[in-house]
Amino acid sequence: MNHLLILPVLLPGLMAGLIVAFARNRLHLQRVAAALVVLALLFMAGLLLVRAAAGPEAYFLGNWPAPFGIVLMLDRLSALMLALVAVLSGFVLIYVIGTGWDQRGKHFHALFLFQLMGLNGAFLTGDAFNLFVFFELLLIASYGLMIHGGGADRLRAGVQYVAFNLLGSTLFLFGLGLIYAVTGTLNMADLAERIAALPAGDAGLLRVAAVMILLVFAIKGALVPLQFWLPGTYANAPGPVAALFAVMTKVGAYAVIRFSTLVFPPDSAAIGSLVTDLLTPAALATLALGAVGVLGTHSLPRQVAFAAIGSMGLLFLAVAAGTPAATAAALYYLLHSTLATAALFLIADLLAARRGGAAAHSGLIAALFMAGAVAMAGMPPLSGFVGKLLVMDALRSQAVLAWSAILLASLATMIGFARMGSALFWSPQEADPALPIPQDRGGIAAVLLCLAALAALTVFAGPVMAWLTVAAENLHAPTAYIAASALRGGT
Amino acid sequence: MEALIAAAIGLMTAGGIYLMLRRRTFPVIIGLSLLSYAVNLFLFVAGRLAPGLPPIISKTAAGYTDPLPQALVLTAIVISFGMTAVLVLMALGAYLTGGDARIDLDDGGAE
Amino acid sequence: MTLALIAALPFLGALFPGLTIRAGKNTCAAVSAAFTATALLLILLQAPAVLRGEVIQTRVDWLPQLGLNANFMLDGLGLLFSLLILGIGLLIILYARFYLTATDPMGRFYSYLMLFQGAMLGIVLSDNILLLLVFWEMTSLSSFLLIGYWKHLPEGRQGARMALAVTGSGGLAMIAGALMLGHIAGSYDLSVILTQKTAIQASPLYLPALILILLGAFTKSAQFPFHFWLPHAMAAPTPVSAYLHSATMVKAGLFLMARLWPVMAGTDAWFLIVATTGLLTMAFAAKVALFKDDLKAILAYSTVSHLGLITFLLGLGTKAGAIAAVFHILCHASFKAALFMTAGIVDHEAHTRDIRRLGGLRHLMPITFAIALIATLSMAGVPPLNGFLSKEMMLEAAAHTHWLGNGWLVPLFATLGALLSVGYCLRFLVQGFLGPVRGDYPHRPHDPGFGLWLSPAVLAVIVVAMGLLPMTIAGGLVDAAASATTGAPVHAKIALWHGLESPALWMSFIAFGGGFVILGSYARLRALWDGFPRPEAKQMFDAGLGALTRLAGWITDGLHNGVLARGFAVAVVTILALAGYGFLTGTYAPGLRAATPIEIYPALIWLILVAAVTATVRLHRQRVLSILMLGIVGLLVSVAFAYLAAPDLALTQITVEVVTVVLLMLALNFLPQWTPRQSSTARHWRDGILSGVAGLAVAGLAYAMMMRDAAFDPISAFHLAQSKPGAGGYNAVNTIIVDFRGYDTYGEIVVLGVAALLIFALAEMLMAPETRWAKHPDQRAGDAGDPHPVMSRVAARLLLPMSMMVGVYLFLRGHNLPGGGFVAGLVFAIGLVMQYIAAGLKWTRARLVVNYHTLIGLGVLVATATGVGSWAAGRPFLTSSYGYFHFPPLEEFELATAMLFDLGVFLCVLGAIMMALDALSRLARRVR
Repeated sequence: MNHLLILPVLLPGLMAGLIVAFARNRLHLQRVAAALVVLALLFMAGLLLVRAAAGPEAYFLGNWPAPFGIVLMLDRLSALMLALVAVLSGFVLIYVIGTGWDQRGKHFHALFLFQLMGLNGAFLTGDAFNLFVFFELLLIASYGLMIHGGGADRLRAGVQYVAFNLLGSTLFLFGLGLIYAVTGTLNMADLAERIAALPAGDAGLLRVAAVMILLVFAIKGALVPLQFWLPGTYANAPGPVAALFAVMTKVGAYAVIRFSTLVFPPDSAAIGSLVTDLLTPAALATLALGAVGVLGTHSLPRQVAFAAIGSMGLLFLAVAAGTPAATAAALYYLLHSTLATAALFLIADLLAARRGGAAAHSGLIAALFMAGAVAMAGMPPLSGFVGKLLVMDALRSQAVLAWSAILLASLATMIGFARMGSALFWSPQEADPALPIPQDRGGIAAVLLCLAALAALTVFAGPVMAWLTVAAENLHAPTAYIAASALRGGT
Repeated sequence: MEALIAAAIGLMTAGGIYLMLRRRTFPVIIGLSLLSYAVNLFLFVAGRLAPGLPPIISKTAAGYTDPLPQALVLTAIVISFGMTAVLVLMALGAYLTGGDARIDLDDGGAE
Repeated sequence: MTLALIAALPFLGALFPGLTIRAGKNTCAAVSAAFTATALLLILLQAPAVLRGEVIQTRVDWLPQLGLNANFMLDGLGLLFSLLILGIGLLIILYARFYLTATDPMGRFYSYLMLFQGAMLGIVLSDNILLLLVFWEMTSLSSFLLIGYWKHLPEGRQGARMALAVTGSGGLAMIAGALMLGHIAGSYDLSVILTQKTAIQASPLYLPALILILLGAFTKSAQFPFHFWLPHAMAAPTPVSAYLHSATMVKAGLFLMARLWPVMAGTDAWFLIVATTGLLTMAFAAKVALFKDDLKAILAYSTVSHLGLITFLLGLGTKAGAIAAVFHILCHASFKAALFMTAGIVDHEAHTRDIRRLGGLRHLMPITFAIALIATLSMAGVPPLNGFLSKEMMLEAAAHTHWLGNGWLVPLFATLGALLSVGYCLRFLVQGFLGPVRGDYPHRPHDPGFGLWLSPAVLAVIVVAMGLLPMTIAGGLVDAAASATTGAPVHAKIALWHGLESPALWMSFIAFGGGFVILGSYARLRALWDGFPRPEAKQMFDAGLGALTRLAGWITDGLHNGVLARGFAVAVVTILALAGYGFLTGTYAPGLRAATPIEIYPALIWLILVAAVTATVRLHRQRVLSILMLGIVGLLVSVAFAYLAAPDLALTQITVEVVTVVLLMLALNFLPQWTPRQSSTARHWRDGILSGVAGLAVAGLAYAMMMRDAAFDPISAFHLAQSKPGAGGYNAVNTIIVDFRGYDTYGEIVVLGVAALLIFALAEMLMAPETRWAKHPDQRAGDAGDPHPVMSRVAARLLLPMSMMVGVYLFLRGHNLPGGGFVAGLVFAIGLVMQYIAAGLKWTRARLVVNYHTLIGLGVLVATATGVGSWAAGRPFLTSSYGYFHFPPLEEFELATAMLFDLGVFLCVLGAIMMALDALSRLARRVR
């Protein structure tokens, strides 16, 4: 029995527990602990990526056979998400330590580690209800991070964020109750088998459950019209937290990909084309709203928030197509969009810290912004362009609508960011040289690393896509995944 | 009995949603609490009704109700308690620093 | 690898200016020039082979899954453009060194310039249309940076944005076109695409692909009606105008048309779109150029006009047209870059570019005048300069072109274009340089230093030399480029004299005559022109984009106005509608379970529940009452659980309820007792209907669910069967939460712990001295009277040990009977809370030795350690084991590792609840 699968969940939780119990007033110790965890997570994610390439693998918690106990499932997709979380959290941690954000309130590092625990748990679990539990864990940690540093606006935005997610959690429970009532199981692989063999008379209720669960993920993924929580939350959250949240919307995308390929696949009679039918129009609307928002807002964090919404639209558009090629493209775009969104939020925060000062006009910050905006708008030479091409290529069969939407959204994003950038960095008003230059070398280093990751994603697009293509093919043909969970002791 | 339970769940859901749609924090919190009762009951009855058949193993029992939804509801109760507590405190914080109990943000045109 | 290296050199060069600027401006320029010169040298080394007709290729796989690869090729066309880009690039680097002033950040300028150079070189060397697109968009971006280089100029900002919007959108259209083209050809490699003429022109996608690609080309090359960005790009420093906006970047569109000429040209659609657009642009822009006063604006419109000319030539789809086009690209680059640089010199020296304030410069700046004279005459098409040769070729080609069967329309427009061109060239010379010296220049001009005039002078020499010896100097290059353009070997004959029977000669004469007439009657023409209102493209663009932006702002702000209720309402409607859709599109067979009979007491409870829910909603504005009602609802729900055979749930629900109500009541201490009425009656109705529908839907769903059996055996059969033998407990619910699904519980206690941490952090933040609290007129100043009456104090102190005993009891029996760590923690906590309420914070804190943080941390650690402990036995996380022990006074006693896990739960729950309530109490103290 190899315990590597559970470690990415346990380690952050354990370290956070230790911090809370024994190091809650020692910031340096907390920083070291968090950094160690992130390093370990990076290492483990690397190992898991290698292992996942060999095929899906299960970890039976409590040594109970699936579907009676809870299983953790490792496949290429979950390993990929773990790696993404590890990389992103590394950048965020460097930024937070480099800029001293973690001194502006209590318990930043504990909450941060719990957040990582929740994310990793959600990506690893093979049980639908356990997914709910880890959703809640990552959410509650995110609430804490969201209001870190305080302020009336931030708190009020936090209240909205919590309230909206409580609605989502409630809906999740309704869906889970219904799905258990219909199928009598909660294990995702078991659900896949049972739903495939579901009597026709149960299809109606199952579809209701499927819609509910997909809508929960849509809330997480800020899919229109369930995106209302996002701009206020992201724009009001501390910059590095917003950057970390770039992966939170991806949790929704991850869950949709997982469920739409495994639990609610189009080839089961009860589900049919339900996912594509619902997702496609919503994704188009999301893409459009993101573009409109980027064009129509006047503050950088809010603009980035809308750009993030738009990128979710593009991502979901690819997911909705439901083909292996489109899923592979979606996964590539997912990596890109997470890092690009994070980079821009960090840059927005760097700028906010320098507002009015001479340092705000420094060429370096402008160059960073330019690179981030280029990535976000899907302009060459960064990975956004590659991702956009991949998605467009995969959506050839619906080219007229999808391509127009993607290209017009790109245009709007480009114009919006060009306007924002020229207003921010080419503004005629004189800077106040008296304002101090913040000590944020660490923050700048984090942004540079983030951009370097985007560049690496671009340069190594070929090998990355080769890996993702297999991941997507495995997702769309989950026999090995189901076999690995050894349902009812079978092999 | 099923009809009564279903009606109760529906009523709590309706009440919860109605309160959630108010524009102050307080009714929203009450509404979300009502909604969580509703969903806990809903999740519970996903195991169907079996009055008098508790899931305590004994030789004399005529049968057992489905224990799994009960365990799920236990988890859900705890989690929703934690969430409610957080929401209450955050709302309080927003009120104390912000000056009123509106739940809405000054978004959009305010920039 | 050579080509990849050549393409990479300028990008590498872009890294250096920023680093070397500290070493001085000369170093900075020299480094840029060195990279450019190296690239030029490497190209020249390849030139002989290319001129022999070889195509040099470098292939690097990038993203083979998509067909996007770093494949480069160098053929005649690429060679021509590479030489232009690098050759003129070198001259520009020299010129810019002396043009920029001391305050201009030169490192940044050269970085941008090299970035552009790399992108442009990439376009012409790409053998992959997707790679070409990458470079294409990068030229737009670097052009954006260069136009906005002078940050203080608002026209620079606007011009940069406009250029990016127009050329960027063209580039986006091109993406779609390129994807179509690659799809038809089966490859994105140009060397493959160029062999697929029949397949491409027969494809139904040909026309859409053509239009989309041409959108890219036309926007980039400023063809009507997308021409308007180019004049506004002139806000850029003059070296940029000379380089990007006349010699190279704007020719990218022409390059693309030439590149795809072998497979796209030759159809009616190509001719009608390309040639017509080109011809119209040529004539139209020449006319506008005539009436501009800014030297750079005149040159900008003349550039548009000449780009139109070349587009027209390419649009003809004939070999002669292609030769003329290629040749004119070369000629135009030479004289126009020189002209821009002279305009820059004039601006630099006289501090104005307004032609109305100039004149007489011939005497003051003779060298500049000489260069301007040569370049302008070439532009006007005066023999023996190179502009004459290419213009003759154009007129010759035009003379033989029929447009929709009409034989004179094209020659007429071509002649008109040439005539207007002569007109603005003469005006540029006469009004700018001739005439008497004036006394009112903003700054008295004189010839600049050697550094500034050397570059245009070199170009002027080329203009003359190419005119005199066209075949020697440019023949081979034009042949190679034209061969590459047409895809067939071409041998051009470029000569000054074609004989009297050539129609071009006569068209030229007309043009010259007309040009002089225009100059002679300029004042009257100008009055006429000024008298007519004209649509301003910039204003239309600005208005359009402004309206779009405002609309976007309106939609964004209107939609996302920060009102949570709207988000909720939309979400509820969406959920209802889509769930309904899901249900109606599926099949449904009603369930077959028999209904459980209704009994009298449960029915009564149900009635009270209905009343309590209604009261909670009705009384929600009276907060205390509403909390009490909510508490009653919770109580009744726990009664329902008890009745429905869920004792564990009933216990948990009721204890949680107590804590929740306490929490809400404490919080209410700070809040006003009333919720003001804020919504209109209509909204109340709307919300009422919405929530009513939702309630009905959920009730229906619950009913449908309860009345049917699961389609398959529920997995809980296993849990019931294994509860005792497998997990060692009689209480199946407890064995599920601590064993079968212990991992859920593990997550759950962490959630609770994090909630407590969050609450603690929040309270700390609110208590921090720097946090300002808003003034609340309706805030109550604590409780009236004695806060801690003796009676309640005594009662609470008695209650504490009792609650502790109950808690321990519940904890111990949990594995077999209703109870467990969670409930135990809650009961314990309630006992402590009573102390708080009755005796106050200080008293309780003083007597409480354990820190809640430690409790929570320990709880998580104990639970984790229990789980990890099973690793020692080689089992997965949270594998339980149990055994029976015999302690003398007690009977046989079971100890399971699950109980240890439950202890973790207990600690965490206790710590969390206490921490939350403690935080609230401390806040309350600050209020007092």
